[in-house]
Amino acid sequence: MPKQPINVVLNGKPVTLEVEPRTTLLRALREFGVTSVKRGCEEGECGTCTVLLDGKLQKSCMVLAVEAEGRKVVTSEGLLGPDGELHPVQKAFVEEGAIQCGFCTPGMVLAAVDLLNRHPDPTDEQIKEGLSGNLCRCTGYVSIIRAVHKAAAMLKERR
Amino acid sequence: MLAFEMERPASLKEAFEILSRSGPDTAVKAGGTDLLVWMKKNLVHPELIVDLSLIEELKGISFDPSGGLVIGALATVNEVAEHPQVGKFYPALMDAALSHSDFVMRNKATVVGNLCSAVPSGDMIAPCCVYEGVMHLVGPAGRRKVPVMEFITGPRKNVLQKGEIVKSVELPLPKGHSAGCYLKLGRRNALDLAQVGVACVITDGPGEREYRLSFGAVTPRPVRAKVAEDLLRGVVSPDESLLDKVAEAAMACVDPITDVRASREYRISMVGELTKKALRKCLERF
Repeated sequence: MPKQPINVVLNGKPVTLEVEPRTTLLRALREFGVTSVKRGCEEGECGTCTVLLDGKLQKSCMVLAVEAEGRKVVTSEGLLGPDGELHPVQKAFVEEGAIQCGFCTPGMVLAAVDLLNRHPDPTDEQIKEGLSGNLCRCTGYVSIIRAVHKAAAMLKERR
Repeated sequence: MLAFEMERPASLKEAFEILSRSGPDTAVKAGGTDLLVWMKKNLVHPELIVDLSLIEELKGISFDPSGGLVIGALATVNEVAEHPQVGKFYPALMDAALSHSDFVMRNKATVVGNLCSAVPSGDMIAPCCVYEGVMHLVGPAGRRKVPVMEFITGPRKNVLQKGEIVKSVELPLPKGHSAGCYLKLGRRNALDLAQVGVACVITDGPGEREYRLSFGAVTPRPVRAKVAEDLLRGVVSPDESLLDKVAEAAMACVDPITDVRASREYRISMVGELTKKALRKCLERF
């Protein structure tokens, strides 16, 4: 199957990806070198391939790359500040030990950013619901929930 | 995933043109969260996928008190769950939407797609049955309306003819004061298929109190527990002995399978328990 070019705005920069109809957004991004988007189950279960597509969380293994034509994609790399400093959510994950093997982290961080946009001061239940699509097999989630609370406080201070 | 070709029509007219000249191995896609998984697991091998996701006529949710709720084919499960009128007038649908997969998948999966996939554990089926949903189909030969109960003819089977597309599902507004709920039994709170789902609606309608019950994951085709509903008709607050009889009647109208998630016997027994629990919860919410 011949490849076709698609145009997306990746972390604020317009780029062209060469894809087949069957290429998922996950595979297209990884082939382009965006390795924070992890290939886990590729069945929409694990959430390691989570991205923000036009501001909404999506599992990129469930999106065909051609569906992203003309749309904005944000990955974990896109959360960094202008001088490369970590986003408060990323910082909180590091400080609270919410990262162990790190495989789920990029997706988990994006889900946490989206959650905090919707609920700036979330309850434990809201955090669990917001992160329900992202599996972590290391932490038992306790440190992740702690990190999200910490990030919420950091973001509040910044406002 | 095997290779396929893809078309992305911008209008229904364009979609019908593509579908009229397409071969038998054509799949129509809205969210695609079932289709992509089935393709990956080699259950289906479409040569052509017609992606409906750009068609404006299929987007959105509308509510009209005289008619009801119209959910466009592209409305995602989250869009439905977040719609203010769904929470107010269709609580069983809202419960079911929030029990579906997980928060991220609900940004992609569509309510109509869940009905079209017709997997018996589909969380949208039972609530759409208790709200007496009607599918609006459009095709080259015109339009037709099919109740959800008749739209699904078996596991992964529906009445769609070649070239036909579901435009929306319409849920009439329950008449009079009403309450509803959907209870789902799974092994975990998110990302799980139902072992048993029970949808319940109570309305005070124009006449006497009416009860509606439907089940998920325990019947090959959608079912309403007519005998159980008749036992309850007109009863304002059912006592325990009536609830026991209703539970028996509910268990008699399901026909579950044994699979990796639960045995047939367990599912039948849980239909009885969850029916009672759903009725109690609805009466509490009433």
